[in-house]
Amino acid sequence: MENNKSKKKVVVIAVIIAAVILICAVGVLIFSGVFPPKLDTGHKGVVGVVTDNWDTGLKEESSEAKPGTRIPGYSTAEMKEGDTTLSLSIGNPKANTVGFFATLKLQNGDVLYESELLKPGQGLTEIPLTHTLSKGTYNATVVYKCVLLDEENTPLNAAESGFKLIVN
Amino acid sequence: MKAKTIISIALAAAMAATSIISVSAGTIELTPDNNSGNTEVKAHISGAPTPGDVSYIITIPDVVDFGELTQPAENTDSFKDVPFTVKLTELSGTSFDPDAQQISVYVKDQNATTDDSEFYIANKTNPSIKLGYEVFRSSTPSMDNKVSADSFKTAGYFYTSFTVKDEFLDGTLRLNQNQLYGRDLADIVGEYSGYMVFTSFIENQTQP
Repeated sequence: MENNKSKKKVVVIAVIIAAVILICAVGVLIFSGVFPPKLDTGHKGVVGVVTDNWDTGLKEESSEAKPGTRIPGYSTAEMKEGDTTLSLSIGNPKANTVGFFATLKLQNGDVLYESELLKPGQGLTEIPLTHTLSKGTYNATVVYKCVLLDEENTPLNAAESGFKLIVN
Repeated sequence: MKAKTIISIALAAAMAATSIISVSAGTIELTPDNNSGNTEVKAHISGAPTPGDVSYIITIPDVVDFGELTQPAENTDSFKDVPFTVKLTELSGTSFDPDAQQISVYVKDQNATTDDSEFYIANKTNPSIKLGYEVFRSSTPSMDNKVSADSFKTAGYFYTSFTVKDEFLDGTLRLNQNQLYGRDLADIVGEYSGYMVFTSFIENQTQP
């Protein structure tokens, strides 16, 4: 009888140890990003990491406010067929005093990404796409809709930066 | 006996969990026998252009404000001019060949189409009431430098091209207040607004 109780105790302890180890292992996997948590998207089913410290990468950019709105332009961007993200630096230069709503689209009107409001100094460099593209070279455009940073986001003039999007 | 079996299972589970963690670290050891791995290697040589980086920055006017318009007393031209500037503010020297390429800038009205490519400001209360204006490539407007003298393309009317940082072009927006002549002010009074779209892209210089 005493022997049976002892065996039961050992079994319970062993099961608890196994469970704790498994829980810890799953926790480590989640923490290390193997199972990333889902984020609320809100824009075309995709989301990007918008940073508050975006810069154009060009040497002489100053954060001093100057008249007019500074618009980034591009030469090319590249991705692989099947990719659903694109390395492209979309953002609002620090020297601006207006907000941007940025849209990445192809010449045929196919919208690949729409941003939330980008304030001066905000932007992103890895663009999550609504869908991937087949191999080829596309005429793409980043549309920058400029707005006042008021409650209504009053529209201002807009700009479009065209470039070649190469899908390998 | 049962206890031994269960302890063995617990130990096996622990070892399995440990091995999962090891794999998730993502380290691939390359040996003479195993010299390939499914790991993407990215590199960037400093100074070389990287696709997707910002290549240039142009500065455009935030807003175009004709201010208060006045109905002319006579049916004659009554121009209201507003200056504006478009400038190549920054340029990456590594992703652009100034001898062979140019940054072209086009301009159009936000609602422009091939059927109606004119520039307008519209009454905010009644958008069907519109006033047209012209865009010139100079601070001294003339028929020769009116952008709409050229053909309209998808990107708009050609405004200018840049090859050197800090290059700029002063332009003029001109609204002929003669459009207000003879109209009932009660019908057209109010605030007007309109937006321009500036399109830029790198293209090869056109041969003379």
